[in-house]
Amino acid sequence: MKGESLLSVSGLGAGYGKIQVLRDVSLEVAEGEFTAIVGANGAGKTTLLTCLMGLLRPTAGSATFRGRSLFDLSAHRRVELGIGYIPEGRRVFAELSVEENLRVTATRRPRGAAAGEREVLERIYGHFPRLAERRNQAAGSLSGGEQQMLAFGRALALEPSVLIADEISLGLAPIVVDRLFELLGELHRAGTTIILAEQNARLALEAAQTAYVLEAGRVILRGPARELGADPKVVDAYLQHL
Amino acid sequence: MFLSSLIDGIATGSLYALIALGPSLIYGLLRVLDIANAAGLTLGAYVGLKVWRATGSLALGIVAGIAASAVFGLGLQRLLYRPILNRGPLIPLIASIGTFIAMEEAFRLVFGPYPFAFPAKLGLPTLRFGHTVITGVHLVILIVGLLVLGLTWFALRRTRLGLYWRATSQDMATAEAMGINTRGVVAAIFVIGYALAAVSGILLGINYNTVYPTMGDIPAYKMLAIIVLGGLGNPLGTIAAAMLIGLVETFVVMYAGYVLPRDAIAFIVLIVILLARPQGLLGRSRKAA
Ligand SMILES: Nc1ncnc2c1ncn2[C@@H]1O[C@H](COP(=O)(O)OP(=O)(O)O)[C@@H](O)[C@H]1O
Ligand SMILES: [Mg+2]
Repeated sequence: MKGESLLSVSGLGAGYGKIQVLRDVSLEVAEGEFTAIVGANGAGKTTLLTCLMGLLRPTAGSATFRGRSLFDLSAHRRVELGIGYIPEGRRVFAELSVEENLRVTATRRPRGAAAGEREVLERIYGHFPRLAERRNQAAGSLSGGEQQMLAFGRALALEPSVLIADEISLGLAPIVVDRLFELLGELHRAGTTIILAEQNARLALEAAQTAYVLEAGRVILRGPARELGADPKVVDAYLQHL
Repeated sequence: MFLSSLIDGIATGSLYALIALGPSLIYGLLRVLDIANAAGLTLGAYVGLKVWRATGSLALGIVAGIAASAVFGLGLQRLLYRPILNRGPLIPLIASIGTFIAMEEAFRLVFGPYPFAFPAKLGLPTLRFGHTVITGVHLVILIVGLLVLGLTWFALRRTRLGLYWRATSQDMATAEAMGINTRGVVAAIFVIGYALAAVSGILLGINYNTVYPTMGDIPAYKMLAIIVLGGLGNPLGTIAAAMLIGLVETFVVMYAGYVLPRDAIAFIVLIVILLARPQGLLGRSRKAA
């Protein structure tokens, strides 16, 4: 399953103003790999992902993506490289309709994309029939679970080769969470590289191949997800209370 | 009489909409009241006038006015707004007002303090039916105004730039992370916003047959009233508010002109409506980001 190195981050540091959050974070993601980033609330997971997306400028370190230097690129140029993003807290465009939300990303696919815009939208409605029913409704009027489906679908409408997802399970009914994780699994089997940050470590470690444990902005453990899931240190720190 | 006033009011409203639309679109993206847009209006009028005088072609004058104003607007966005946008809302506003005043002084220095006449023929006849009279200039303002407003509505609803403008104005960081070149959207909107200002300036100049350094003053404060009235950052609300102010002004002047100076009316309407709807005509109460 593992292929060539796709994303390689080394010595990443980042923060907000004078507050240093990430320190010397390094990350290796292979083509097609499913990576989980787990850690307590405030550990720096979102900060790491926003640096990868280009929404936060790192203070140290470097990253290459398919051999290109990543940190010089603005966020929309990273999207052009095929990186889809599900932000923490959904961040759907509340005043756009469901379909317009999907069209934002569907229209950002490379010009030569095989599937037409309509075809891509219908595929997403196939994954999430709820969104199809509400396609003309303002995204802000959806329930939390539906908004998370929309945030997911919006990233998929890009037909990304890499999916960066931040806390997709937070505050959702178990049945919705199951559906979203099922979909992550399908995407992974179809070859999509996935980087998932989750506070719900048990779920993430079950789904992923490789995992990183962040604590106070540092990577304290990395390894095969299942092994970490069985590691008493990890279980004590992150899994017991779940 | 009534029909004449109605058409006058709609023509005035279309002109106000042309004036206020650019700053409204810009406000949506940057949350800055772009007062300096009114300097683009005056610049467009001067350049349009000069080029028309030099070449005899009004079309050339309009194109040159649009180009000058668009370049000016793009320059402002790059050199003035971009570096200071993250300093809170007040600093860009003050910088914008300062730029506007400085530009008025610049117009005085370059073109002189005296008004120029702008007797260009717009090529449409004065229409008369019964008591109803529509001058050629008003007809052009009406046609251009309604055309541009229709196009704007279409662009916002049906084009990619419109979709990207709406996404970016709601959440710039997320728009960027969804692949939208938000800097490009901002630049495009400044070009469009300042082009509209130039067209408004030229129409104003021809309508009143005068172009002078402070001709942007009244448009600047009416545009403010209209943008706030329509609901900040809501272009369709801006158009509705512009029409409302245009109509109310025309009818009040018609029937009570001696009591109320025309240019005070916009603010009276603004105050009355904001008492009832603090979020403006079509605005929604803005959620915390
Ligand atoms: N915009 C911000 N400004 C200041 N501090 C922030 C901001 N976002 C996050 N932080 C701080 O950075 C640390 C890491 O946060 P975050 O990356 O969101 O962690 P996680 O996603 O793992 O919960 C926390 O201490 C948080 O308070
Ligand atoms: Mg987080």
